[in-house]
Amino acid sequence: MSNSDKQREGANPTIGLIGLGETGVKLVEILAMIAPDGVVAHSLDTDNRSLSRCHQSRPFLLGQAIPCGLGTGGDSALARGAVESDSDELIEILRGTDLVFVVVGMGGGTGTGAAPFLANLAKQAGALVVGVAATPFDCEGIQRCNQATGGLRDLKQVADTVFHFPNQNVVLMEGADIALHQALEIANRHLCEAVLGVSRMLLEPGMLNVSFADLQASVQGRHSLGSVMHVEASGEDRVDDAVQKLLAHPASQGGEALKNASSLLVNLSGGDVTLAEMDAVTVAISNRSPSAKLVVGVSGQGNEEALKLTVVIAHAGKLDGADRESAPPKLDPNRQTSDLGYSDPFTVPDTGSYLDLGKESDGKNRNGFAYTPPAPPADALTPECREDLIRVAAKEEPNRTKRRKIIQELLPLEIVSKGRFEESEPTIHKGEDLDQPTYIRRGVVLN
Amino acid sequence: MAETWLGNEDTVNDSQIIVGLEIGTSKVCVAVGEVGENQAVNVIGLGQAKSRGVRKGEIIDVALAEEDVRNAIVEAEQVADVEIRDVFLGVTGSHVRGFNNTGVHPVVSADREITGADIQDVIKNARAINLPTDYSVVHVIRQHFRVDGQDGVLNPEGMLGAKIEVDVHVVSGRYNRLQNPIRLVNGLHLEVNNISSSALASSLAILGMEQKELGTLVIDLGAGVTEYAVYSAGVIKHTGVLAVGGDHVSNDLAYGLKVPLARAEQIKIDHGSAVIDPEVRDRKVSLSDDSLIPGRQIDLGHMQKIMSMRLQETFELIANDIGRAGLIEYLRAGVILCGGGARIPHITRLARDVFKLPVAIGRASTVSGVKNALDEPEFATPVGLIKFGAFQANASPRRGGIGRVIRRQVAALFGR
Ligand SMILES: Nc1nc2c(ncn2[C@@H]2O[C@H](COP(=O)(O)OP(=O)(O)OP(=O)(O)O)[C@@H](O)[C@H]2O)c(=O)[nH]1
Ligand SMILES: Nc1ncnc2c1ncn2[C@@H]1O[C@H](COP(=O)(O)OP(=O)(O)OP(=O)(O)O)[C@@H](O)[C@H]1O
Ligand SMILES: [Mg+2]
Ligand SMILES: [Mg+2]
Repeated sequence: MSNSDKQREGANPTIGLIGLGETGVKLVEILAMIAPDGVVAHSLDTDNRSLSRCHQSRPFLLGQAIPCGLGTGGDSALARGAVESDSDELIEILRGTDLVFVVVGMGGGTGTGAAPFLANLAKQAGALVVGVAATPFDCEGIQRCNQATGGLRDLKQVADTVFHFPNQNVVLMEGADIALHQALEIANRHLCEAVLGVSRMLLEPGMLNVSFADLQASVQGRHSLGSVMHVEASGEDRVDDAVQKLLAHPASQGGEALKNASSLLVNLSGGDVTLAEMDAVTVAISNRSPSAKLVVGVSGQGNEEALKLTVVIAHAGKLDGADRESAPPKLDPNRQTSDLGYSDPFTVPDTGSYLDLGKESDGKNRNGFAYTPPAPPADALTPECREDLIRVAAKEEPNRTKRRKIIQELLPLEIVSKGRFEESEPTIHKGEDLDQPTYIRRGVVLN
Repeated sequence: MAETWLGNEDTVNDSQIIVGLEIGTSKVCVAVGEVGENQAVNVIGLGQAKSRGVRKGEIIDVALAEEDVRNAIVEAEQVADVEIRDVFLGVTGSHVRGFNNTGVHPVVSADREITGADIQDVIKNARAINLPTDYSVVHVIRQHFRVDGQDGVLNPEGMLGAKIEVDVHVVSGRYNRLQNPIRLVNGLHLEVNNISSSALASSLAILGMEQKELGTLVIDLGAGVTEYAVYSAGVIKHTGVLAVGGDHVSNDLAYGLKVPLARAEQIKIDHGSAVIDPEVRDRKVSLSDDSLIPGRQIDLGHMQKIMSMRLQETFELIANDIGRAGLIEYLRAGVILCGGGARIPHITRLARDVFKLPVAIGRASTVSGVKNALDEPEFATPVGLIKFGAFQANASPRRGGIGRVIRRQVAALFGR
């Protein structure tokens, strides 16, 4: 049965999660535990170590021959070779899936090299492909950042849309004093939120459904960067509260992201959502996003007090086959460093691909995939502008710890492995977090 | 803080009521004891409440913990038919540390005969410890004296010598975190006579003279923390707290088996094992009573694997710590387990494999009274606190009654 047949029958779309590289695997593991039923999770890596930590998702070792389970050591070309050689099996994995999330941390070898190729396979298998990508912290170095920017562009070229979360956003929000593991946790929450928000929107039975077709219409063939925000609020003023949180959300860029959106999928979930509440949300959002096509859905049942608001922001990008409106980027091979705020999704131009370059050029560029991103366009966010955004975000919550709390509320990860110990001091012994299950730290696979 | 007196079991004439309180991670437990002649402790009642406001041995929700402590106290009062006004309180948590210290003192008198004043001075020196400012001393426990390098002197008074040294075991903890449970108890209009590390209390309940002499490791496997104490040559040599416990086992299971925590806890109690039973491999049990996921099955092999790995790691961490202190070969009486974790099937076998020593489950053999309080391993701490209280009462001047003197010492520390 083809995908569209299934749609016509009104069955739920099949959703596949593909985690690539260590970060992707980590995220997919978390997601597999909390995602709604009907989401199938796969973990793909060139590194046996990260796969041995898979318990919730189906592990798949990329490149059994090379690099034979040892990881790529940051070489994305090696990863490309590995996925290419595994194409047949990967097509099997992707078969019959309507919506594929390609979840990846850009900047290393595996994720960066494999994600565009895999997204392309999924595309060819007829799926709607949504990339979910993290990019490195600034402090990880310009090389890694460039590698990530290149990977992000390539992924965007093939995927219908990419939800991008720069890890550096956490630093902007929380300050540089935050512990690394906390920063990653926050970043991961946002990344998971994107996948969960969309999955729930599509799978939760609703009175007014935001359907798979709606998602398709707003992102298919756009090849643009989008974002997902998920907020929750309860009590008397739950609508006002939720809208405030939405605007304070890092992905809303102080409202800027809403303003530029081409379409918005809004889903309200919770007990007894009233027409007045629906109206209030719709008005609040459409006022800030006058030109966007808006689809509003309501799902959830029972007496749940909290109002959950999920907003998918899609940007126009370009449509498949449409003429490229901007000139191809001018690559300057001599430029080694860049003042590119690479953590800013909107500075990445929409055309050109180093993946294509690698194929088309004489191979010179393939060597190590040296990619020097072009200078940011003039209208990109300046540091001052960024400061403003942060201030806007901070205004809601002048107190820093309080602000962090709100961010964490966005995604109640009910069963993360920390579970019961969330509120207590972590038990760290010689740098090892003993709150994490022993069998996981020892890399034991249960099957 | 005064020296913790654990010596000489002198006699007390009047029987006294002494109450031990453990605000544990899984339960709040109040043990009421009667200390009669010859310092014999008789447990006359127990009060218990499920603990909801504690993680890893420390209070995280004062309101809930307060309610639970109140309930346990009320129950104990009813069962023992006494009115509880003061308690000996167990303290624990990852911040509680034990270490050894030595005090040195030159004997100044012309004839070089060691006097009571010399002994006091050397102990005072041993107690002068440079702790970080936010730490307080919980115990200073006397181990041995040395006179001119001669080891193992129990009482040097009257001996001749130029230099006298004393080894002590010091238990310390963060001032604020020690004070939290004290403040909570005070909020219930109860006095805290004194505090004791739970590790010490459990060992007092369980070990007899002979085990302390031969050398024993006591491990209290609680829900939130695992506490341990080493005795050798009659004195305490080493104590430690590891903020890992039964909750970790359950949490690991919840994660690995994809079940809610409460369900994981139940599965652990019903089917748990400290070692992997080869017969159980690939055996499944149904969660038939689970209305949400009917027909859901749990793989027993996986369950026991997850569980045994956590427990083995816990024992290994303790073994490493004790090995570093060079104490393993002193444990001639082996290892004694207590706390709720001691109920896990085959836990002694696992401990034996890790420590390569004989292992037994501890009973509160050094006291008499309410049958179940003595047989159940999880009551070691509260029962031991009675024992601790009895020592304290005995060390303080007889006439003043137990409360006043010690209480003043506690006030000096905790009433800042
Ligand atoms: N958001 C988030 N980002 C992460 C996390 N761990 C790593 N990253 C980021 O992801 C980037 C890529 O790292 P990996 O995923 O380890 O790389 P890989 O894909 O396995 O590639 P190899 O080098 O071949 O191992 C890093 O540069 C980090 O910036 C995480 O837990 N969360
Ligand atoms: N039969 C059993 N099998 C497995 N575990 C058990 C069993 N009985 C009790 N336990 C575990 O023992 C723990 C409770 O032990 P205990 O009562 O000594 O802890 P506590 O004193 O409340 O906690 P703590 O001292 O760590 O603050 C719980 O984690 C419980 O799951
Ligand atoms: Mg890797
Ligand atoms: Mg205990």
